[in-house]
Amino acid sequence: MSRTLVLGMGNPILSDDGLGLHVARELRATPMPDGVEVQESEVAGLRLLELVRGFTKVVIIDALKSGRQPGEIVRLEGKDFKGGHRYGSAHSIGLDTALELGHRLGFEMPEEVVVYAVEAVDVETFGEQLSPPVAAAAECVLEMIRAELGIADN
Amino acid sequence: MRKVSIDPITRLEGHGKIEIFVNDAGEVANVYFQVPELRGFERFCVGRPVEELARITPRICGVCPEAHHMASTKAIDGVFGVEPTPTGRMLRELLYSAFFAGDHTTHFFVLSGPDFVVGPTADPAERNILGVIAKVGMEIGGAVIKMRAEANELVSLIGGKAIHPVCGLPGGVSKPLSAEERDRAVEIAKGQVEFAKVALQIFDDVVLANADYVDLIKSDAFTHETYYMGTVDESNKVNFYDGKIRVVDPAGKEFLKFEAKDYLSHLAEHVEPYSYLVYPYLKGVGWKGFVDGKDSGVYRASPLSRLNAADGMATPLAQAEYERMYATLGGKPVHATLATHWARLVELMYAAERTLDLAQDPEIVNPDVRNIPTGIVGEGVGCVEAPRGTLYHHYKTDDKGIVTHVNLIVGTTNNNAAISMSLKKAAMGLIKGGTEISEGTLNMIEMAFRAYDPCFGCATHTLPGEMPLEVTVKSERTREVITSVKRFM
Repeated sequence: MSRTLVLGMGNPILSDDGLGLHVARELRATPMPDGVEVQESEVAGLRLLELVRGFTKVVIIDALKSGRQPGEIVRLEGKDFKGGHRYGSAHSIGLDTALELGHRLGFEMPEEVVVYAVEAVDVETFGEQLSPPVAAAAECVLEMIRAELGIADN
Repeated sequence: MRKVSIDPITRLEGHGKIEIFVNDAGEVANVYFQVPELRGFERFCVGRPVEELARITPRICGVCPEAHHMASTKAIDGVFGVEPTPTGRMLRELLYSAFFAGDHTTHFFVLSGPDFVVGPTADPAERNILGVIAKVGMEIGGAVIKMRAEANELVSLIGGKAIHPVCGLPGGVSKPLSAEERDRAVEIAKGQVEFAKVALQIFDDVVLANADYVDLIKSDAFTHETYYMGTVDESNKVNFYDGKIRVVDPAGKEFLKFEAKDYLSHLAEHVEPYSYLVYPYLKGVGWKGFVDGKDSGVYRASPLSRLNAADGMATPLAQAEYERMYATLGGKPVHATLATHWARLVELMYAAERTLDLAQDPEIVNPDVRNIPTGIVGEGVGCVEAPRGTLYHHYKTDDKGIVTHVNLIVGTTNNNAAISMSLKKAAMGLIKGGTEISEGTLNMIEMAFRAYDPCFGCATHTLPGEMPLEVTVKSERTREVITSVKRFM
């Protein structure tokens, strides 16, 4: 049976970086179809690989800082983030590297990975509130993910 | 005049910057290292019940939440003036040792391994964990993932959940370990010891068997003679969870041994206008600038520093490897920064053996895991050895336990001055006038940096475990960019 994981990612105490966690919590407050699991995660890299093993499809929600308009929503698919397997940070391997590693090790890896990212205003101040444009975008992302999962609006 | 730049492509704006200034002859004039800062951490904490800090501080960064949870829990013990029960203490150390083994494994195979296993000047597209398993075999890759997963499992057996444990309470931990859980812990720990043997064998085969690498490790470009800091037990053996903080001088002689609560008597902080991150130094020696030697208060706190600052390891296999390391590298102390990778594997073995010893101790299943606090002192300092160096949490509260002040010195911050010095020396040794500065050269400069396993997530209370790096080489005179290397996430 196909299994889908919706993964809200981020840091709960760095303002807009909490977006993914916020959306995942809201989503989980409503009933999910069979085979769909919703999780919140504050991890990246190898720890992410351990989370997504065994799922057929993974939908990731995260904040982004890319120079777009605050609150702008971007939907990315696997092909969009295959940028080579360089490692650049001291402690993180990229999502693509983590997924490729899983494949090479023969793990059961998701066939489809979709990322919903929202352009953040502030991810550098300690706080638990989303900025107004990101909070508004969070509501839209919630609806987009419900549509992605085939959940009808009530 | 040109400038070299390594631009990160990342989901976040903040990133570390290494700026290398060269003179008109193309020789290195100076090197600056900067990290970004996040705002408002103390303000975020003040006014909350102090018990909450053991759950908040691990969220500063996703790299070593367990270290923050432990240091925080110990500081909160101090605030309430309560000591954990013997089993409470053992359970904390068991969790912590298992975490350490997993963290050190990650560093070697994922972060520093690529430089050695794939090669320091290899194509960056291959110089990663995928390149490592292509060289050492798929089964090793699987073993690394299994090792990490089982370390997480052991952490969650005690901690309540993996990654962000919630077990630490003033006076102990929240729940005892059942006999079944203990059996699983023993099984996992035995696997960790076996894994540590394999990791050391790979280090032997890949690094020590290669004369070029041994020369690189011993080379002057990667050497600094500094003071070394680490936590030791009553027998001056390395301990990660508790003990006294010992500092040895560049000749290896004991310079200081102090209780964590007295850290402000022995450490001071130097500031530079170009960096948010402070430079701690030894008060008793004084700040003499970014220089080596006995007269400079610069110290290092890293796996190699801990080994240098101690008289040995408390477990047999780690002790044997400790002796072999010093015999191979010419006795104690070892000043070669790149030997930190070997020291990290010695510590991996110790962490695994310690996990097994604690799991097999009959007292580990004793249900008496907590002393209930009855009063309040209002101030506490908690200290542990984090994988990246000595970690201090210092809290003050009012008489109801509401936070009024927070100060942290985190692992990487201890090494800030030494990291700057190592970058400069490596750059001066590798960049010569009139030669082209290749990506491989810049990577070798970064190796001086990676040896410290630097993590600025909590050092500047910054981005959750992601520290993309920008290296630029600029003209000292015109400030123009000479070369640029991009780091993709």
